[in-house]
Amino acid sequence: MKARPIRFLPGLFLILIFSFFRTASGQTEEDCFTCHEETIKQKISSSIHGEVGLSCLDCHQDLRGVKEFPHAEKLQPAACASCHADLIKEWERSIHARASTMGLARVHCSDCHGGHEVRPATDPQSSVFPLNLPRTCERCHLGQVETPRGQEFIRQYENSIHFRALEKAGLTISANCSHCHGSHDILSIEDPEAKTSRKKIVYTCGQCHVGIQQAYLEGVHGLDYIKGIKDVPVCTDCHLEHNILPSADSRSSVYATKVAGVCSRCHDDQAIAREYGLLTARWKTYSETFHGTASRYGDIRVANCASCHGYHDIRPSSDPKSSIHPANIPQTCGRCHPGASRRFAEGKVHLLPDQVEIPKYRISYIVKMIYIILIATIISIFLLFIAADLGHRLLKGKSHG
Amino acid sequence: MDKSPSLVDKSPFIDDEEIFIRMNLTERIQHFILIITFFSLILTGLPLFFYEFKFFRWLIPSGQVFYIRGLIHRVAAVLMIANLIWHLLYTAFHPRGRSNFKEMLPRVKDFRDAFEQLMYNLGLTRFLYRRGLGRNFFDRHPYWLFKNPPLYGRYNFIEKFEYWSLGWGSFIMIFTGFFMWQVELSLRLFPLWVHDIFIIIHGYEAILAFLAIIIWHMYNVHFNPENFPMSRVWLNGKITGRELRLLHPLEYQKIAELRRLEAEKVNQPGQPASASHNQAK
Repeated sequence: MKARPIRFLPGLFLILIFSFFRTASGQTEEDCFTCHEETIKQKISSSIHGEVGLSCLDCHQDLRGVKEFPHAEKLQPAACASCHADLIKEWERSIHARASTMGLARVHCSDCHGGHEVRPATDPQSSVFPLNLPRTCERCHLGQVETPRGQEFIRQYENSIHFRALEKAGLTISANCSHCHGSHDILSIEDPEAKTSRKKIVYTCGQCHVGIQQAYLEGVHGLDYIKGIKDVPVCTDCHLEHNILPSADSRSSVYATKVAGVCSRCHDDQAIAREYGLLTARWKTYSETFHGTASRYGDIRVANCASCHGYHDIRPSSDPKSSIHPANIPQTCGRCHPGASRRFAEGKVHLLPDQVEIPKYRISYIVKMIYIILIATIISIFLLFIAADLGHRLLKGKSHG
Repeated sequence: MDKSPSLVDKSPFIDDEEIFIRMNLTERIQHFILIITFFSLILTGLPLFFYEFKFFRWLIPSGQVFYIRGLIHRVAAVLMIANLIWHLLYTAFHPRGRSNFKEMLPRVKDFRDAFEQLMYNLGLTRFLYRRGLGRNFFDRHPYWLFKNPPLYGRYNFIEKFEYWSLGWGSFIMIFTGFFMWQVELSLRLFPLWVHDIFIIIHGYEAILAFLAIIIWHMYNVHFNPENFPMSRVWLNGKITGRELRLLHPLEYQKIAELRRLEAEKVNQPGQPASASHNQAK
């Protein structure tokens, strides 16, 4: 997560005030380390809390005023709230704070941030430093916690371009768990207020992918998204969630040969088509073309849905800004077919015989029918001649034999 | 083969064991190139038509293989066209090519032959006659009994049909295929819907050609009990006098007649003897 130094200032100020008064309670750090190991002292002194001069009692506030030593075996959790009150408030709403309602142990500050050794998120040694955060979350989410989608789903993140950028390039701005899920205020995806909910996800991805968010919101999908239509695809419907990969990666959900499958999940769905008045059989009619057939065989040079329709800012053909608006078709087709003229627009793509109103576009259908009848007739005649010939020879063989 | 009736009398001028050349080396090479290019084209073209077919998905497992598929398809097409041009030149300028072409020309007789062969094989009218049905009619018109199969010349109706189908099919495939190859040119000349028709024709014509070859041609030269397991003409080009007499009786008679005339000339004094006529067939 990104460092926000401004937030620390009030805390630091409080710490300074505390440090003036701490000797008043009568105990000193020396008293603690008559019993406690030196390693704890070392941890604290290398931590941010040690750096700003916090003493044991600043966190273990239930030991204040205690005269009897050794003190009780079990102490209260560290009093993080006395300085980090706003973060604790965020945490209290989170699924981590409410884990007990699901029969799991609550996740406390120290589970993620560490205890005595706590360091700021900007410190490369911190457990919540961007490069280290995935491992920190995985401590529980791989192994201990079962999610509805299974642990494999969590592990998929390690294949993603986001994780690879963290791991290989040390790119700290690349999305880690907290960029998408939040940090202290993590909510379940089912919660409409969650950063990963359908309602919020476009803006969550848009934190980094600003231009794409803008393009998406201008396109036909984005306009419906703003209207709150539930079936409209959001980022994760096409790009998936944890295993997001660049479109050039053959394992990506939006790899050239897979795009048609992704789009037709909705565009060939009868129920969705009926509800929103979409044309179906897009997959079939695309597959029948050379583009579609070649794509299904794994050819990545041929046009897929996105090549003609665009991707984030897909627009209907009636929109003059659309790549498939009749006026723009020569330019769109011309990207692959240099010198494409307006004749490219004189015909229907995704042709279904019963959807064609213009008579001349029916000719191809008629030609197809003629050929089918011709083939059936000729082959029938062949078979008739063969059957007659074979029959004659067999009968003759019998009568002579 | 022994079961086939001899339809014409044995000529004293043609020995049953004599070897005639039915396909010379040039024709055999042309036929061989045609086989190779035809099946290369089929194998690299049909996957586009039957893209759901498991075998083709196995054959073309990746985009790279798909690209090579297209390359092979175009190379085979160019080879086939070259072969066709060679054949056209051979037909136009070589005496034997010209003679074959004349023999290959379709005639009314071929349509009658097809009908008579079918009726002969079915034997329906002979069956009725034996049952005593329509005796009066059949006694007056014995033609309709189809007692004998038709007599064929150098090329029968089956071979002519195959030859001219190949010619017509090649023309269609080359024309449509050219514009599918040069798609930018095609779409400068024609609207998209016309280009779509080229694609449809190219596909369905290919299916027709493929079915015609594997059903019709394969039956006639391989699985037909007369030739089973295979006629060897396409390999050695040879046919015996006996085969000539049984399968191409009119051609047999023609050669026999020529030789008879030659023999008469030889018997007349003052006339020089001419060379062997084995090359005529």
